[in-house]
Amino acid sequence: MPATTAAAEKLLLQMVDDYTAREISPEDMPMDAAGDFPAGFMQKLTDTGFLGIMLPQEFGGAGFGPEVTAAALNHIARGNASTAVTLEGHFKTIDQILKFGTPALQKQLLSSANDRIFAFSMTEASGGSNPMGISSTATREGDHWVITGDKIMITNGGLAQVYCVLVKTAPKELSVFVVDQDMPGFSFGKREDFIGLRGTPVGEIVMDHIVVDDDHLLGKLGDGGIIGDSAHDDARILMGAVLTGIMEHELKIATDYAKERKAGDKPLTELQVTHRKVADIAMRKETTKLLYQRAAQLKAAGQPYSEEAAMAKAHGSRAAVSAGDDTLQILAGYGYSREYPVEHLIRDARAMEIAEGTVEKMRSAIATAEFNK
Amino acid sequence: MKIVVCIKQVPETNDVTIDPVTHNLDRRGLAGVMNPFDKNAIELALHLKDSTSDDVQVALLTMGPDDYAESLREGMAMGADAGYLLSDRAFAGADTLATGYVIAQALKKIGDADLILFGRQAVDADTGQVGPIVAEFLHQPQITYAASLRLSGKNEVTAERLLEDTKQTLVAQLPAVVSVRSELNTPRYPTPRNIQLSFEKPLTVWHHDDLDLDDSRLGQAGSPTIVTKVYAPKPVKRELTPLTGTPSEAASQLIKALKGRQLI
Repeated sequence: MPATTAAAEKLLLQMVDDYTAREISPEDMPMDAAGDFPAGFMQKLTDTGFLGIMLPQEFGGAGFGPEVTAAALNHIARGNASTAVTLEGHFKTIDQILKFGTPALQKQLLSSANDRIFAFSMTEASGGSNPMGISSTATREGDHWVITGDKIMITNGGLAQVYCVLVKTAPKELSVFVVDQDMPGFSFGKREDFIGLRGTPVGEIVMDHIVVDDDHLLGKLGDGGIIGDSAHDDARILMGAVLTGIMEHELKIATDYAKERKAGDKPLTELQVTHRKVADIAMRKETTKLLYQRAAQLKAAGQPYSEEAAMAKAHGSRAAVSAGDDTLQILAGYGYSREYPVEHLIRDARAMEIAEGTVEKMRSAIATAEFNK
Repeated sequence: MKIVVCIKQVPETNDVTIDPVTHNLDRRGLAGVMNPFDKNAIELALHLKDSTSDDVQVALLTMGPDDYAESLREGMAMGADAGYLLSDRAFAGADTLATGYVIAQALKKIGDADLILFGRQAVDADTGQVGPIVAEFLHQPQITYAASLRLSGKNEVTAERLLEDTKQTLVAQLPAVVSVRSELNTPRYPTPRNIQLSFEKPLTVWHHDDLDLDDSRLGQAGSPTIVTKVYAPKPVKRELTPLTGTPSEAASQLIKALKGRQLI
C-alpha cells in the first residue's frame, strides 16, 4: 500500500471513530427504541461526506477502495450497526452503477451520490431469493420503457432518492433500471417494523407506469441476474464488516462487565466458564474479520470474491448472534434487560442471516463454488 | 490575508510517563493526535477564510518528529491550505522558550502572517506559554484565551478574552498573536474527500539548516526550565460545616462563620 494511501486510511478511520463516538454511537439505543433516526441525523452524516467514502473523486467523492470502505463501516458498526447498514445499502448501489453503468449514466447519477442516498431493490412479495419470481415489469412502448410493480423490504426504502430496480423485460429476462423518487408514477409504500437494525429504514416503493428512456437501463437487457448477484456480493463484504463491528461491541461489553463483576468471591474473569465464552466471542469476531478483509482484498485486486463474500456474511451473521448470546449470558439479568444494548445487538445481527440472501442460500452458493473447483 | 495556526501533536492517551532523567513527559512510542484545543484555532482560521470573498491562506505550523506530519494532514483535511513541519534532532528536549524561539524563527521565514493562532494550551503539558512567547519574539501584540474573535477593521481584530472571573474586550492591530479557548467554536470534521485531497496540498519540512537559528537557544541546552520533580498534589481534606435550620437561620450561621474568619 502506498504511504499516502496508508496515511489517508489512518486519518479516515480516526475521523470515523471520532464522529462515531460523538454523533452516531449516542443515537444507537434511541434509534432502536424509536425505530428511526433522529431529525437532522442523516443530513449531518451527508454533510460530513460519509455518502462519498467510496465514490470516485471525479464524481465528488473520496474514492477510497473496497478494503478501506469496509473498514470504515466496521468502525461505524462498533457504535451503531443500523447506520453502517444504511451506508452499505448506498455503497452497494453505487458499486453497480460504477460496474455496469455507461459513462453518461454514471455522470448523470453519481455526481449527486455525495448528497443523495441510493438503494438497490430486488425483493417483491412474490419473490426474494428467487428473482425469476418477481412480477415488476418494464414494457417497451414506443421509444420508452414503462415500469410497473411493487418492491418491498428495500434497505433505505423510503429514505433513498435513487433506486436501482430489478424488473422483467421479457417473461424470462431480468433487467435493472434506475428510477428516482421525483419521477411521475413513483411513490413510497409501507415501511417495515423490523425487530433489528431499527435505525435503518426498510420499506416499499410503488412504481405505477414510470416512463424512462433507454439511458436509465443499467447494463444490457437481460443483465439483471448478473447485476443482482454482483450487488449481493458487494453487500455481503460490507455486512461482514458490520457484523465484525457488532462482535467487537459485544466483546467490549462482555469483557468490561466480567472485569467488574464478581460471582461470590471470585471475579468473573477468573471463572473458566467466562473464559470459554469470551474466547469464543473473540474467535468468532476475528474469523469474520479475516473473511471480510480477504473478500475486500480480492475485490480490490480485481479477483473473484463471490464465495468469500458469502462466507463472510454466512459465518459472520451466525457468529454475531452466538457471540451476542454468550455476551447476554455473561451479563445474565442485565444482558436480558432492554436497558443494556446486548439484546438489540442480537436482533441487529439476526437481520443479516436473512438480508442480502439467507444463510441457507449462502451455503448453497459456497458449496456450488466448491463443487465447481 | 495569511493566517498561520501553530499546532501540537500530543499523546493519544493520558497514561504518559515521566522521563526519570529529565523529568519531562516521555512521549516516546506513544501514538499521537492533534492537541484538541488546536482544532478550535484551525476552525477559527477556516471560519475567517469561509466568511470572506478575499483571498485568505491558512497554513499550519508544528515542531516535532516526522510523525507530527499526521496532525498537519488532519488540519489540511479540515481545510488548511499548507503545512510546515519543523523537525530536527537539534530541536529535541526544548522547553516552551526554546520551542517558541524556533517557531518564531520559522514564522519569520514564512513571512507576512497577518494573524498567528494558537490553541489555549496543549493537553499534555498544559502550559499555554508558547503562544505568548512567540508573540514576544516577534514583537507583536497578543491576546490570550480568546472566546470570540472578529476582524473589526482592515488591520485589526477584536476579541473577547475570557478569564476565570472576568471578561475583557481587546482590540489588537495586525499582525497579532491570538490563543483561543474551546468555547470559541465547534471544530469541523475533516470530510473523507478532503482527507484524500489533503495529500495533494504542500507540506514543507524544515530542518535545522533551513532556518536562521542561534544554536545556543535550541533543544535541551537552550531550555532554562529545569524540572526537578513531578508529582501529583495530595488532595487537601477540607473541614465541612453543615448549615442547618431554616434558610434565614442558615444565612445567619454563614454570616457568623465568615465574620469569625474575618472574611467579611
